[in-house]
Parts: sequence; C-alpha cells; structure tokens
Amino acid sequence: MKKVTVEVPGYTTLPLQLPSDRKPATHYLYLRPHEPRVPTPDTSRCLFLVNVPIDTTEAHIRHLFGTQLSAGRVERVSFEDVPVKKNTVATDSNLAHRNKKRKRITADDLQSQLEDIWLPSTWNRELQKSGSHAIVFFPDIPSMESSLKAASKAARKGTSIVWGEGLPSDRVPPLGLQRYIAHERLRYPDRATLLRTVNEFMTVFEGVSEARKREETKRLAEPDEDGFVTVMHGPKLNSVSREDEMKELVERQKQKAAGLEDFYRFQSREKRKERQNQLLRRFDEDKRKLRDMRDRRGKIRVSIFFFP
Amino acid sequence: MSAHTVKRRKLSPSPDASTSHTKSSGDSTRTSSKAGSEKTAAARKNDSTKPQAGSRGKDERSAEIAMASGFYKSSFFKLQMDELLTGLRPNYDKRISKLQDTLCKLKNAIETLPENPAKSVAEAEKELRGISGVVVPWPEPRPAKDTKYTVSYAKPTNINVVGSFALRTGAKTSDIRSVDMAVTMPSSIFQEKDYVNYRYFHKRAYYVACLAAGIQDSMNELGLEVKFGLQDGDSLRPLILLESRPTSKDDQTPSRPQIRILTAIDSTLFPITRTLPMKSNVRQGSSADQSEIGEPTPFYNASLRSEATVSQYHKYLHLASQKCESFRDACILGRTWLQQRGFHTSFQNGGFGGFEWAALISLLFEGGGPTGQPILMRSYSSYQIFKATIQFLAGRDLTTPLLLFASDVPVPDGGPVLYDGRRGLNLLYKMTPWSYAALRHEATITLKMLNESREDNFDRVFIVKVDESALRFDRLISFPKSFSGDTLQALREQNSLYSVLSKALGDRVKLISFASESVGAWSTRSKGLTKKASHCLSVGLLLDADNVGRVVDHGPPAEEKEEAASFRAFWGEKAELRRFKDGSILESLVWSDQPSEESILHQILAYVLNQHFQVDEEDFLLTGDEYDDLLYDEGDGVVAYSNSPFQSINEAFKELERSVRDMEEVPLEIRHLAPASPLLRYTALRVQGPGGANEPADVVLQFESSPKWPDDFAAIQMTKAAFLIKIGDSLESSGAASGCRVGLENESSKVLNNAYLDIPHTSGFLFRLRIHHEREQTLLERQLKNKSINPREREELAFALFSYKKLFVQTSRLTQALRSLCTRFPLMSPTIRLVKYWFTSHLFSAQVSEELVELLTIRTFTQSYPWDCPSSIMTGFLRTLHFLSRWDWQQEPFIVDLGGDLSPEITETIRTRFTAWRNIDPAMNNVALFVASDLDTDGITWTQYEMPSKVVAGRMTMLAKAAVNLLRTQNQDLDVPDLFQTSLAPYDFVIHLSSKALGDRPAVSKYKNLAEMGTSRGSKMVMVKSFVHDVQACYSQSVLLFHGDERCGVVAGLWNPQMVKPRAWNLKTPYSTAPAPEASQEKQNQVKINHPAILNEISRLGEGLLDTIETK
Repeated sequence: MKKVTVEVPGYTTLPLQLPSDRKPATHYLYLRPHEPRVPTPDTSRCLFLVNVPIDTTEAHIRHLFGTQLSAGRVERVSFEDVPVKKNTVATDSNLAHRNKKRKRITADDLQSQLEDIWLPSTWNRELQKSGSHAIVFFPDIPSMESSLKAASKAARKGTSIVWGEGLPSDRVPPLGLQRYIAHERLRYPDRATLLRTVNEFMTVFEGVSEARKREETKRLAEPDEDGFVTVMHGPKLNSVSREDEMKELVERQKQKAAGLEDFYRFQSREKRKERQNQLLRRFDEDKRKLRDMRDRRGKIRVSIFFFP
Repeated sequence: MSAHTVKRRKLSPSPDASTSHTKSSGDSTRTSSKAGSEKTAAARKNDSTKPQAGSRGKDERSAEIAMASGFYKSSFFKLQMDELLTGLRPNYDKRISKLQDTLCKLKNAIETLPENPAKSVAEAEKELRGISGVVVPWPEPRPAKDTKYTVSYAKPTNINVVGSFALRTGAKTSDIRSVDMAVTMPSSIFQEKDYVNYRYFHKRAYYVACLAAGIQDSMNELGLEVKFGLQDGDSLRPLILLESRPTSKDDQTPSRPQIRILTAIDSTLFPITRTLPMKSNVRQGSSADQSEIGEPTPFYNASLRSEATVSQYHKYLHLASQKCESFRDACILGRTWLQQRGFHTSFQNGGFGGFEWAALISLLFEGGGPTGQPILMRSYSSYQIFKATIQFLAGRDLTTPLLLFASDVPVPDGGPVLYDGRRGLNLLYKMTPWSYAALRHEATITLKMLNESREDNFDRVFIVKVDESALRFDRLISFPKSFSGDTLQALREQNSLYSVLSKALGDRVKLISFASESVGAWSTRSKGLTKKASHCLSVGLLLDADNVGRVVDHGPPAEEKEEAASFRAFWGEKAELRRFKDGSILESLVWSDQPSEESILHQILAYVLNQHFQVDEEDFLLTGDEYDDLLYDEGDGVVAYSNSPFQSINEAFKELERSVRDMEEVPLEIRHLAPASPLLRYTALRVQGPGGANEPADVVLQFESSPKWPDDFAAIQMTKAAFLIKIGDSLESSGAASGCRVGLENESSKVLNNAYLDIPHTSGFLFRLRIHHEREQTLLERQLKNKSINPREREELAFALFSYKKLFVQTSRLTQALRSLCTRFPLMSPTIRLVKYWFTSHLFSAQVSEELVELLTIRTFTQSYPWDCPSSIMTGFLRTLHFLSRWDWQQEPFIVDLGGDLSPEITETIRTRFTAWRNIDPAMNNVALFVASDLDTDGITWTQYEMPSKVVAGRMTMLAKAAVNLLRTQNQDLDVPDLFQTSLAPYDFVIHLSSKALGDRPAVSKYKNLAEMGTSRGSKMVMVKSFVHDVQACYSQSVLLFHGDERCGVVAGLWNPQMVKPRAWNLKTPYSTAPAPEASQEKQNQVKINHPAILNEISRLGEGLLDTIETK
C-alpha cells in the first residue's frame, strides 16, 4: 500500500486495512481531539472520530485503541444518531429517585421510566451510516493524548492495521448470513417476554396518566394570585373523541344547510355568475395548457410510430 | 334555460377573442344562437350523439358557451383539434407554385404525344418494347395471342389534376403525398362491348404503356422517374407513378411529391346497367356475345365503373367542399383517423381511405338516414361532421345494403354496400367482410371515446397509432401461403380462407382481420407484375376471452342429418358423436387443455388449415401464446385468477374471518377483517397451494371504535401487541391456527406500526394480521399541526401518517377493488402478474412497489382506449408497456379508474394535487411518479419517498421504450423472453447472490413450528431484502441498489454520479472517503469516495449471502 501523505487539517488520518479474503481495501479514519462548540467537562478526554466503518461497534474501538494501537483504555463510545439520554446517567438518577420515598414520584419521573420499557430490538448489532462519526471517551486526558499520538505514529509509519483483526469472535455478533438469520429469530420475541414488556409498559403508563391527572387536579384546586379557583371539568383522557364529535356537528350543520342555496334569487344569480367565471377561467387554463404542451413537445403531431 | 342564455350573451368577450380568428371553429359555434342552442339541447336529450344544425359564430368565446351548455366534448378538445388541423393543413399555394411547372410540362408532354393507330395486341406490344423498352403492364389474364380486338393510342380528351390535391382535402401526414392527374381516354379507342372479359383493361394497359413511353424522356429531364404501380392495389388498373429520383440527394427530405397519372373514361361510354354489381362481365370462353349469365363479378364491374366516375366524383366532391365550409377540415380529420388505424384506399389496406371518406361525407349530406334524410348538415363544423360520420359507420350496418338515389339494385352478399345510384358505384366495393368488420369495430370504439365524459381522449382518437398489430390483436397468424397478385384471384382465395377460419373459430373470436402488403412500384422496363405482386398474408384475431378456452364444441344434433353431414364435412375426422349429460346426442369436437399441449386455438388452426388448405403445422406461425406460456412457467403454473391456489387461499381467508369474528376472549367487537395482500387480490406473481411456499398474506383487522384506547402513540402500539397476543391465543384455542407468533417491525419507532401476528392457518396458508386503529390518523394529523415539534420529528410523523394510510387504508381498498375487477376482467389478473414479472426481471423490485405495477396495469383494462378492453395476456401486457413508454410522468399524472367513479371533478382534484406536488418538489426528489385513482386522490400513496426515484422512473420509461421498439422492429420474429432479459451493463457493480445460501437452506424446525415450514422461499428473499435494506440504509445517498426476486440471483448497484468527483473534505460527507490522489497543488485536502472500502463493507455485510461482487 502506498504511503498516504494527505492530511486533513486538524485531523490525523489513520489508514485501516479492511479484512477480506477477496480484494484488499483501505479505509481512512480521521481523528482529532473532541472540540465541540459547547464543551462539557468530559470533552477534554474525548477523541472525535470521523468516517467510522459501517460495522463499527464499541468493541471494535476498544480493540483498536487498546490492543491494536496499544495505547489507552476506552471508557465508552458514543455514536452519531444514537440519543445520548439512554445511557447510564439517566437510569442511575431514576434508580436514585425510586429509592427515595414512593409518593414523591412525579409523572415526569414515570414518563422517563416509561421510555426505557420498549419492545426488544430485532437486531443483534447496530450498523453505522457510511461516513458517520463517533466520540470516544477515555478515562483521562493522558490516555486520550497517547492514543492520538499512537494513531498518528501508525499513520506516519504506515503500520498496517487490519480492522477488527484479533477481536475475539464472541465479543461482537457476526455479520452476513448469521446476522439475518438472527434477525429472523429476533423478530419473533417469545410470548412471555413480550407479554411481560407489554404489561410492564401498561402499568407504568397507567401510573403516568394517574399521576398526571392527580397533578392536574391539584393544580386546579389551588387558588390563583387573585384567590380564585377555576372550576373546570377534569382533564379529558380522550380529547380526540371530542374532536370527532365536533366534526360530526359541523357535518350535520352542513347537511341542514344543503338544498337552501337556491332559496333567494340573488343566490342563484351569483351561482350562475360564479359558474360562468369558472368556465372562462377554465378556458383560459385550457389555452395555457395547450401552450405548455406545445412548448414541451412541439406542435401536436400525429404519431407515426409507437412513440413520438 | 332562457335566462341562462340571455345572461351568457352579456358576457364580455375574452381579451384575445377579437385577435384570434380560426378558420374552423368547432361545433360550439352554433350555440351562439339562442334558439339553436335550445333546440339542440332538446334534440340532444333524445339522441345524445347526433349533432344539430345552427348558425355559426366566429369567435373563440363560443367554446366557453359550448362548454356551458355541455355541447362540446371539452374546450380543450376543440383547442387541440384546431391546433392539429392547423398543423395538418398543407399549404396548397406553396405546393402548387412548386409543382405548377412540372404539371404543365407533363400536360404538354402528354398532349403532344403522337397517335398510335390500332394494331393487334401482339404487334403493338412488340413495337412498344422495341421503341421505348416499355413493357405493357397487362393485368391477369393477359390478352391471348390470337386476340381479335386491337389496341391503340389517341390523344386524351382531357387532362386534369384531380383528387385531394386539387380539392385541397389532403392532410400532411407521413404517407407519400401524391398528386393525381387524370387522363381521360378518348371514347374512340373503345368499342361497345369492351366492358366484358378484361377488354377494357387490356386496352387501358396499352394506353398507359404508351403514355409512359411517351413522357419518359421529358420526365427524365425534370429528374422524375417513370414507374408503374397499381391504383388502389387493384391489379386490373396499373397506373403511372412519377417519382423524383433519389440520387439527387441522399436524404430526400422534402422531396417533391409523387405524381400519379390515372386514367378515366367518359361516364357514358359504358352504360351503368352493364356494370351493376350483380352483372356478370367475365365469361367463360372467348366469345363475348354469349348470354349474360354466369357468376356475378362485382369487383370487376366496380373497378370498371370507378374509371368512368373519376371526373364525376371530382366534381361532386368539389361541390361539397364549396357548399360546406368545414368539409376540408372534416376530410383531414377523417384521413388522420383512418391512417392511424391502418385504413387506406387500396384494397389490401381495407379499401377505405381518404377518397372514400370524402365521398361518404358528400353522400351523407344528401341522404343516408333511416328514412332517407341527410345525416349531415352543411352548416356542421368539422368536428360534428367527423363525429356524425363515425356514428354512421358504427351504427349503420352496411352489409344490409344502403342504396342512395337508386332502388332495386341487386347486390352481392357478404361485403358492405353503399351504392351511389347517380354514379352507379358501390363506394365500398374494395372493402371485404373482414375489413368492414374492422372498420366498424374501430368506429364503435371511437364513438365511445367521443361520448366519454371522463377524459377528453383527443390523443387516442387522432394521435396514437392504433394499428400496430401486436397491440391491436390478441393473436397473430402469419401465413406462408402466398396469394396471387391478381386481385380478383386473391380476393377469392382470401374469402375462402376467411370463411373457413370464421367457421372454425366461431365465437372464440370477435374479429378476424387480414392484412397484406401493398404492391410497390415497378420499373416500366421490367415485367413481373404478377410475380412481384404475390404477397404473404398476416391474420389478426381478436379473441373472445370467455370462449377461447372452451374444450368441447357442440355441433348440431345427430338427428339433423343435413347439418350434421355438413359439420362432418367441414371437420372431417375431428368430429365425433357424443352423448351429453342432458341426454342430447351431438356432433362435437373435443380439444385438449393440457398444459403440455399447444393452446386450443393453435390446435384448431393446425387442424383446420391442414384439412382445408394443406398447410402443415410447421408452416404457419401463431403469435401470442408465448405470453401465456411464460406466465405459466414463471407464475407457479397458475394462469387464471380462478385457478385453485388463488381460490383456496381466498377460502382460507374466509374461514379465518369467521374464526376471528367468533373469538370470545377478545374484549372488543370486530368491525372488519380486510384482505390486504396481492395473494388475496389475485395479483401475486407466484402463488402456491396450501402448505406451499407463499409469502405471508397480509390482513388488516379493525375493531369497533372504543374510548378505552389510550391517546399515546407508544401506548397504542403496546395495546396492539397485547391484542395480538390475545388473538393468537384465542385462534389457537379454537383450533383455527397453530403456532401463532407476534412479530415486530419498525421497533425503533414509536409512531409506526410495531407488531403483527403471524397466523399459520390450519388450511396451510400463512396470514399476517395487523390491527388498524383509526384514531392513529387523527392523532398523527393533530401532532403534525403542532408547531413546536422539530423538523426531524415532523418528518417522522409525516412518514408515519403516510405509512398508516398506505398500510391500513389504501392497501385494503385496492385489494377490495382488485378483487372485483379481476372477476370482471378475467384477464386482468394474469396480465398484472406478467407485468410484475417484467418489473422484477428488470430488477425493479426494490423501487417499484407491487401496488404501483397493479395500478399501471389496471388502466389498460378500465381505460383501454383507443383499443377495446384487452382480451389476451399479450395485448394487456404490451399495451401496458406501450403506455409506459408514452407516459410523460414529469408532466402528466397517472389517473386510473378503479371503482368506476372517476368523474371530471375527481380528475380535476387529482390534477390540482399533481400541480401542487410539482410546485412543492419541482426537482422530484420525493415524488417522481404521481399515480392516483378515484379511490385514492392523493396520488402518492405508492410512490412517495422515491418509490421509485426519478432515476429509476427514467430507467423504467427507457426500458418500456426499448421493449416497444423491439416489438416494432422485430414484429412477429420477436422472441418473447427477450423482453424480460435485462442487461446488467448499465450498473456500476453487480452483487451475485450465493445460490447455496438462497437455495438450500433447510427449513429450520420442521415439526416444532409450522410457520417456518412454509417460508423457505419467503425467508431467503426476506433475508436478501434485509441485506439490501441494510446497505441502502448505510449508504443512502451514495448507492442505489436494484434487485429482482429470488430467481434473479443478482443485486445490481449504481454509484451516485454526483458523489464520484473528488471534493474538499467535510465533516458531513455522507460516505466513506479516501484521500484523493494529489493531481495539483491547489487541490489539496481533496477526498473522494472510497469505492473499494464500501464494496468491502458490503461484501462483509453480506457474508454468506453473496458470492462475488463484480465491478465495472
């Protein structure tokens, strides 16, 4: 492989050999210290990776920095397009809440809890979009720096790094046929798991609506600044049904009005006028259409062959 | 009514009314008279198609008024027609000035020719050849050596230009526009009895030869070549053609038109009574004085008479064009209409062309109605004349003779007769029973088109070329038997073939049509009129789809001796006596309907042709069965919708519906269980019986509405899942199914449908049930109105609404509509399936949805104009391709009538939406094809989100055009599978799927799970689809993948051409990049797409599924 001299300003370009029994191919990974517009305390120990291979997993990245470049230990990896919220921090705080007094649980807490209960994924391994980026969290700044250094050294020296080589096969689910067979299996979760998920979800969901209702009533029962209490119906669970009702009413009103358009003379006169105007308009439109057609296909011509 | 009219007259004229002045204003004009309009309205009610007279207006405003009172087809129709007429009206002044000189010289040359005294035939012929080398174009039979009468040449009594050029009734069309010059032969060279036994024609042939010889030199000077040809394909009447020599310029662009020199005689030379249709003028033996008994010779007589009527008709037509302003335009319309349907004056091409049309119109000004009243008024507009004439042709069966200005003229049976008593000619003498049937067929269809309010049909009446035989006919037979160049002889032979075929095929066919090549021109020095003129015949059949597959034909009962005998005589050994269930004993014929055998039609033809004409089976070629056979091979042996797999899966569905309704454990009432799968609407290309490897058949379950449903998207999905588990349990406990499983889809989204239930029904079919909850739509719509959501959420919601409508509303609607359409049109199902095969063969499966293909094909049936509804798979399939090749999808929406409710208002709505979409998305990045129906006016249900993208849509059009082109150029030699052969050359890379992985994967657990058993075919394709989906998701912008179905074995890919160029590195580059080789110093930091790496990633992703990736 020819040595790569191209540098993208600010980035280290790390060539990776892609494993293949067929044609050799080189992938290029671009690295730099993470510098987001709004820095957080964590950013200083992060590396920003651009153009990760589509089959990148956290294990791959760990393996790359830990073993293949023998630099730093990776704490975790955050990929593009994956919502951050789902991660440990959020659940931790949730758990912390739950350990406190039960009655203090608010609807919002329940809501966030609800978001974690969901149907199981039907894939055993996520894929990355081509050309996407990832943020690698290192435990500390030195290990980040040494990793970056190791990467640029490898790039400079032209060390051949084969992507994912030596990664124990039990660390990542395989791609290819196995992946799709697994997908076929995972599409049908077993009945008990599914039922449990559904039940759990519905219980928490009920909890959320209960809590919301309670909070609403409580809020309404409190007098406002002027000391008034607004009297209202309780919050509707189904505001949609009311919408439907409204629609029906409008519909009925329309029906009632039907047949009354010709009642007055002026009405029929206006209607006639309207129709004439419409005809005129349509005639002009037709003319325009013909003009358009002519512009598009030339003159109307009798087709000699199958297609003009 | 009167109030309306008064009002209307006050309308201010449109701004351009005063400036524009079209010569032919449509029939709208008459309505400017109040009285006229009322009268017409009344008349219209009684007879909706017969136009009425009225006074004519001059301005275009009248079109609006016409629209207002509903007289006109549409103002757009009129505008298009005006445009067409302007385009087709030849500029006669220009043409005359160009030709004047030539014609004058020609006339002079003829006038100065020396007389040629009477000589015996042999002597005259020899002398002519000696002097000028011209061979006399004798008609068959040529005069005998010992002929007693003499031939001579004398100065013509009159030379003049006649026909469309002189009358200015011609149209600029693709045909060679010829200028006719009639030379009236002096009566002195004929004798009283010359009308018998070809004498007239022999003398005429000599006269023509003398003319040709005489003008040869002077015409050569003008660069014109003198040739012989046949007038109207009639071998009795050779004529002289003057063609400009092609050598002058290689591409003869606007070359001078052909000049034809016709001959004429004085109309009184032979009395009309001698040439009446039933007179016998060709007699056995040489003595012409025998009594006048013998076979009638209608064609011969009429041929003779038409020589005598040249100037009469010329004057007559001239008069008509003088009296009726729109006569010329009506002629242009008629000519165009006829030409698009392959009708021309010559007898091989139907015997009904521009001249006959013009003469017919002129006659209809004077009569033709049921009580002899005129059909046309001189005040009619061209459109009215056209329509009324079409109506006359369609409505009046002229095989019951119509005699004008005459009575009691005996006429022959069979052919049509429109006898013009004044001139003594059956105007339709060149028409055969089959060409007349074809003409009426076309007229009937055109009349329907003109009367249809749904569409304006202008294109289909005038623009589309209708006469391509493979699109027009269901079966084509090409016949090796050459027919004699002698017109009379050929007519006799064709007649007998026609009668045998029509008797043999009976009600299996609706129309039999013969077509043969017209005879071209030949050099004056060569002989070979007869040899050259013999030609092959091709036969087109329009089938009656209901009867064509009948296995047993019933003949007459055995007791009716006479008829039984004639039946036996006709059918020979094939006829057998059979006793039927009702006790009758009938002569009958039994054909085989085994798939291994040739089609029944083929069997009949082979037998009959051999029996009556000694034509071997190998010697004739029947085209059309290949399409049925192909579908049989590719479609799991199923051709008709009534075949058992389709029927059994539908019965299984009914059973399932019953079981679902009977479920007790489910707390909600069932409103509806709707089928929503191609398998349940007879349109799946591949379908197998119970236990076969079918794809799961989608069904949609709707509960009665209940307020207990949550109002939260996620909660709705969970509730659905809970219901599905419950339904599965319930169906299993009732024994309707075993091994029900809830499956997940779109699990990463909370607004899309997440769960379905796979039901392995006891019948052996697999159903896939989803729950339709109508409140989802309301919720989605409400959420979309919410202004605070971010664009990404909005996109997701919009997509969810789109999928909701598609999955739960439109699919079941379409299924419902197709289930009834397929029963109404039995050929719809097989045609759709063959078209689907075409699409999958060309690797469109990923981009063109099955539903889209269905809609595109349905149109061929519900809006079949300019043809009748297809009655074979071939026509259905080819017409669909033909439509695709012509569809300008960038500018035109596709509108199909599914429920028969397509009204102009709906069409208007659809067009408005189409325009709106093109305004929103002019680059067509989201919606390329716009496909709407009366049941789905949105028009984007099946095509939004680049299904297909404009690139793919363009390829579709291209392939359709290529297919149609192949059909046109190869005609009957076309090998049908060629149409389904796709080329992989245009693709950048081709992924060859591993046949091992696809083919041999054994069903995982045979006994444990019924569901897996039946899915071996489905599952392997599902995996390929998942793989393609993965790849497409990873490289959404840089790669476009194409695949067919499991039999294709390849996935083909294209790189996005916009992303191939190196560009500056960017964080947001949506594809894998590699540093570009440094070409120049300025272009540093350039990167380019890393094709090898991407292909490597793809191949690792498809490990085990694919064999190789081949790149260009």
